[in-house]
Amino acid sequence: MSVAKIHTEEAIYVYGPWIRIWHWTQAFAILVLGVTGYLIGAPPESVSSGEASDHFQMGYIRYFHFCAAYILIIGFVVRIWRAIVGNRHNREIFLPPVWRTSFWSEVWHEIKWYALVIPEPKKYVGHNPLALLAMHIMYVWTTIFMIITGLSLYGEGTGMGTWQHTFFTSWVNPLFGQSQDVHTWHHLGMWMLICFVITHVYVAVREDIMSRQSIISSMISGWRTFKDNRSN
Amino acid sequence: MAIINTPNGYKLDDSGQRVVVDPVTRIEGHMRCEVNLDADNYIRNAVSTGTMWRGLEVILKGRDPRDAWAFVQRICGVCTGTHALTSVRAVEDALNIDIPENANSIRNIMQLSLQIHDHLVHFYHLHALDWVNPVNALKADPKATSELQQKVSPSHPKSSPGYFRDIQTRIRKFIESGQLGPFKNGYWTNPAYLLPPEADLMAVTHYLEALDFQKEIMTTRTIFGGKDIHPNWLVGGVPCAINMDGDLAAGAPINMERLNYVRGVVQRTIRFVNDVYIPDILAIGGFYKGWLYGGGLSGTNVLAYGDIPDNANDYSPANLMMPQGAVINGDLSTVHPIDLRNPDEIQEFVPHSWYKYPDEAKGLHPWDGITEPNYELGPNFEGTKTDIKKLDEGAKYSWIKAPRWKGHAMEVGPLARYVVGYAQGHEYFTEQINFTLKALDVPISALFSTLGRTAARALEAAWAADKQLYFLDKLVNNIKNGDSTTANTEKFDPSTWPSDIKGLGFTEAPRGALGHWVKIKDTKIDNYQCVVPTTWNGSPRDNQGNIGAFEASLMNTKVEVAEEPVEILRTIHSFDPCLACSTH
Amino acid sequence: MHETFYDVMRRQGITRRSFLKYCSLAAAALGLGPEFAPKIAHAMETKPRIPVLWLHGLECTCCSESFIRSAHPLAKDVILSMISLDYDDTIMAAAGHQAEAIIEETIEKYDGNFILAVEGNAPLNEDGMYCIIGGKPFVEQLTHAAKHAKAIISWGSCASWGCVQAARPNPTRATPTHKVPGIGNKPIIKVPGCPPISEVMTAVITYMLTFEKMPSLDRQGRPKMFYSQRIHDKCYRRPHFDAGQFVEKFDDEGAKKGYCLYKVGCKGPTTYNACSTVRWSGGLSFPIQAGHPCIGCSEDGFWDKGSFYDRLTDIHGFGVEADADEIGTTAAVIVGGAAAIHAGASAVKRATQQGDQE
Ligand code: HEM
Ligand code: HEM
Ligand code: NFV
Ligand code: SF4
Ligand code: SF4
Ligand code: F3S
Ligand SMILES: [Mg+2]
Repeated sequence: MSVAKIHTEEAIYVYGPWIRIWHWTQAFAILVLGVTGYLIGAPPESVSSGEASDHFQMGYIRYFHFCAAYILIIGFVVRIWRAIVGNRHNREIFLPPVWRTSFWSEVWHEIKWYALVIPEPKKYVGHNPLALLAMHIMYVWTTIFMIITGLSLYGEGTGMGTWQHTFFTSWVNPLFGQSQDVHTWHHLGMWMLICFVITHVYVAVREDIMSRQSIISSMISGWRTFKDNRSN
Repeated sequence: MAIINTPNGYKLDDSGQRVVVDPVTRIEGHMRCEVNLDADNYIRNAVSTGTMWRGLEVILKGRDPRDAWAFVQRICGVCTGTHALTSVRAVEDALNIDIPENANSIRNIMQLSLQIHDHLVHFYHLHALDWVNPVNALKADPKATSELQQKVSPSHPKSSPGYFRDIQTRIRKFIESGQLGPFKNGYWTNPAYLLPPEADLMAVTHYLEALDFQKEIMTTRTIFGGKDIHPNWLVGGVPCAINMDGDLAAGAPINMERLNYVRGVVQRTIRFVNDVYIPDILAIGGFYKGWLYGGGLSGTNVLAYGDIPDNANDYSPANLMMPQGAVINGDLSTVHPIDLRNPDEIQEFVPHSWYKYPDEAKGLHPWDGITEPNYELGPNFEGTKTDIKKLDEGAKYSWIKAPRWKGHAMEVGPLARYVVGYAQGHEYFTEQINFTLKALDVPISALFSTLGRTAARALEAAWAADKQLYFLDKLVNNIKNGDSTTANTEKFDPSTWPSDIKGLGFTEAPRGALGHWVKIKDTKIDNYQCVVPTTWNGSPRDNQGNIGAFEASLMNTKVEVAEEPVEILRTIHSFDPCLACSTH
Repeated sequence: MHETFYDVMRRQGITRRSFLKYCSLAAAALGLGPEFAPKIAHAMETKPRIPVLWLHGLECTCCSESFIRSAHPLAKDVILSMISLDYDDTIMAAAGHQAEAIIEETIEKYDGNFILAVEGNAPLNEDGMYCIIGGKPFVEQLTHAAKHAKAIISWGSCASWGCVQAARPNPTRATPTHKVPGIGNKPIIKVPGCPPISEVMTAVITYMLTFEKMPSLDRQGRPKMFYSQRIHDKCYRRPHFDAGQFVEKFDDEGAKKGYCLYKVGCKGPTTYNACSTVRWSGGLSFPIQAGHPCIGCSEDGFWDKGSFYDRLTDIHGFGVEADADEIGTTAAVIVGGAAAIHAGASAVKRATQQGDQE
């Protein structure tokens, strides 16, 4: 809260508790999914002794992947619910106003800011439009993609007749060609998310330092504060 | 209308009646045959055509050489595995990999199983109906059949009159149903069938017995390779690890129980070949020994690469249990050494094949081979592009290339191996040949015939059954001596490979000499060429006009009924053609 | 299930008298005495065995080889007592035009009532002349027979998916049955595998004969009874997979102990087939039991997924051929590097700007 006190401008409450809890569980789930998912693709050195029943290394890796997967899925559902009932900031990442020309000109403005061409970004209560675009494509759609492909792979294990198989595997496998292709694309999705997270965390830290509003603390406290009181 | 004298000594005359057999059935894959009959129904011109192409050599470009065995194995599911073995040998040759002794024994057992299985199924299920008339079997007296059976093979247990009566009843019911299934539209009234009814019944009975038994022969491969058809192989050895009495041996691919299973199969195989297959060949051969057509190139030009290395990694002729060498111009006193790496010895030609070379007057050694399809019909062709009435053998007319050894068209296969072995004085083979000639009371010249080809195949099955046991014992002894290694994985990782290498692998496939030539560049296949037994035997004419083994064997055969050319089938079948192989 | 042959002849306006005459001609054609004629007539008036036309396109014939290896039922019993295998160029006695005539005869007598079994597939390039039968392209024979068939069985991965000849660059444009133009909307049962398991092939046929209906199929047209589970789901090495006990290299300690083959490329986790349950040669073994990873031979396009010994699949396109981790690490390094450079540039800029403001 220290930042907020330095400046005279009023703080705005942008992220409700649901969103903040969602954000940090999401971050945690994706971290776990990324690590365990990578290990599913390339397992660690073989456990070389003892009876199979004495070990469950791959089993645990997969188990944590699936636990985190369900946390991710439930979190995502909660997030959609908040998007429907919550404030307009809660809707933003799902519906970037791509039909507005002003949106695109502001994207251009942000690009110039990141390209270090102009000295100052605009002020935003919610996301800046470029961030919004990145979150919409790299986060929202990739997460949906990971959930669909993930549940499709999961349905292969639960088997025919289970909801995962009926609602996912049964059409996702033929759509991609075969199970192996679904694995490949699910695996690629992980790298997409990793790229997002790298960018996202870097930009969050950078904006926190360089932009005209609070960033990281906002996702902790919920309040957006501004470092100056000039208008745009 | 023209009369052509070919450099390899045949006089071709394309006047007279043109008879077409398409499809040639009871073979693997798709083949067409056209012949010209003179006024007395003698074949005076023969044209054999491979009518399929899949492009495996094209598909292999750019692939991982360690995977190549799986692709080329799918060249053929009948001689399944021989291409795979040839392939791993070619890649091992390129990479200088030595395989463990156990891997050599296991590979040999698998390869020998294939020889036996392929020969047996060929004789009973693809070839027998050229000699045996199932409809005639209905007229047999089961008692007479029983007596015949006991005479030709006293040790075969299934020989009672009741047994033959049951089978006859089953066949009768089948035929009376009016639904003749595979026997429909056969030439059952053709005078070319010579067996008395009791022999027909015995043979048909064995058709069924062999159908039941054949699957057992291949179970050796289910154990060593995981499945009987298209089993699994490995560059550097075999994938089946051995664990006799270590921890978790019960879950190991090879343990005591598995070896015992293999031993049982090997023993039953020996018995079946010796109690059923060989006696049938002698019995049926006895009735047809006057029909000595079909020798073709077998009496003049034959070629064998050799196979079944006794000790691992030594592919020199002295270490190969199947003979290597070439006989030319019918001179059995000299067996010529062969060199598969020499660019001037083995070459493939395409002036009469549906492929394109920059210069078609020349042949190409497989390391420099080119496979580029070019479907093109000659000026004397009749029909339309998609409805062939008559091919023009003066132009391109087959999907098979024309391989030549030092310019000669050669016959390959069991008979070629036996001729080379006989010429070299191969003890086992010579003994078998002499025994057969004596049993049938025919001179050595009878060997160079359709029947000779069919008989050589059976003799080879007996030899192979015997050798399976030899390698099983060898495997067990080696394990006893403390060596249970099955794979050399030192160079399995492609990052350890030189950037520009080439290799050669060869085997004796059931149908004859098989070679694969591979070039590897930056860990990927740069060129892969297969020259396959049926490519040799079924080859069309070459740049000089030499005809291939199929065509040569048909020449000057008398056809009894032009409408029902069972004689063409007989002779072509005696090669056990595999068209998927030939064109790949 | 069917009209008998007699019914068909009557429907076509043939009298009983000429039917009996046909029967005695048939007996004569077979070289049998006239006493056989009434027996043939009787058989034709009762329920016939279902006719099967088994066509071969571009293939390796190993599906046929697999079929004859069936232990239960024996292939012999299927052929003699269950079906009427009227056309199968690999084993039929007839050849040439006598063989081709059988297709027409069957269509005439059993229109809409025979099963069409397809092994291999049809090339479409060069007007189909990469596979010629009777002087004509195989695809013609296939579509013609398909039009009149009751149902089609696509044997093996060739007929089901395309298999090896359809692997990149598929020089002949080999095309699986269901994608051949002109096949229409006949029911197609895919029995994939390279080859399919012998007993699976005969079980699919005997199921149809015993229960007089099509087996229930999954969305891709495979009988659920054999293709609804992955190799991995019932693999006897599965406990080692869960434990994390892997074969790291062929013939290592793990290989001798029967550890899981995942790390040497096993495609069992992505392959639908009955190998780990039904197994091969009457239940004797299957690839994994013999120490080799599953190569996924019953799956669509399994040839084009990169080396059989790699766990991860090759991705083709954009001129690259690499697996997901290779592509991913490259992308992540680029993004991370860009962020680092950007951070540096931002810091420099900020420092100079602050300098300006002072
Ligand atoms: C951020 C999200 C996720 C990431 C980064 C991720 C990552 C991965 C990766 C890299 C793999 C290995 C793929 C391979 O090479 O075969 C994998 C496998 C898998 N994932 Fe995910 N995943 C995510 C979400 C999910 C979700 C939501 C589910 C749903 C249940 C899921 C279920 C699975 C399953 C079932 C497997 C296959 C496990 C196996 O084959 O043993 N994943 N995941
Ligand atoms: C797997 C990791 C992460 C994912 C998938 C993720 C995803 C997201 C998403 C989708 C939003 C937009 C929320 C909305 O407006 O609805 C967001 C916002 C935010 N994230 Fe993350 N995040 C991750 C990790 C992190 C980490 C590690 C940090 C801290 C350094 C962080 C800091 C923030 C901040 C500060 C915001 C608010 C940005 C703003 O106020 O404009 N995130 N994140
Ligand atoms: N020709 C041939 Fe093969 C054999 N034997 C292979 O090399 O059959 Ni398909
Ligand atoms: S599916 Fe495989 S095994 Fe069957 S014919 Fe095709 S290539 Fe051969
Ligand atoms: S060997 Fe293959 S199928 Fe069996 S458990 Fe391991 S990965 Fe699964
Ligand atoms: S390779 Fe094929 S045979 Fe079975 S175990 Fe795999 S599906
Ligand atoms: Mg070739």
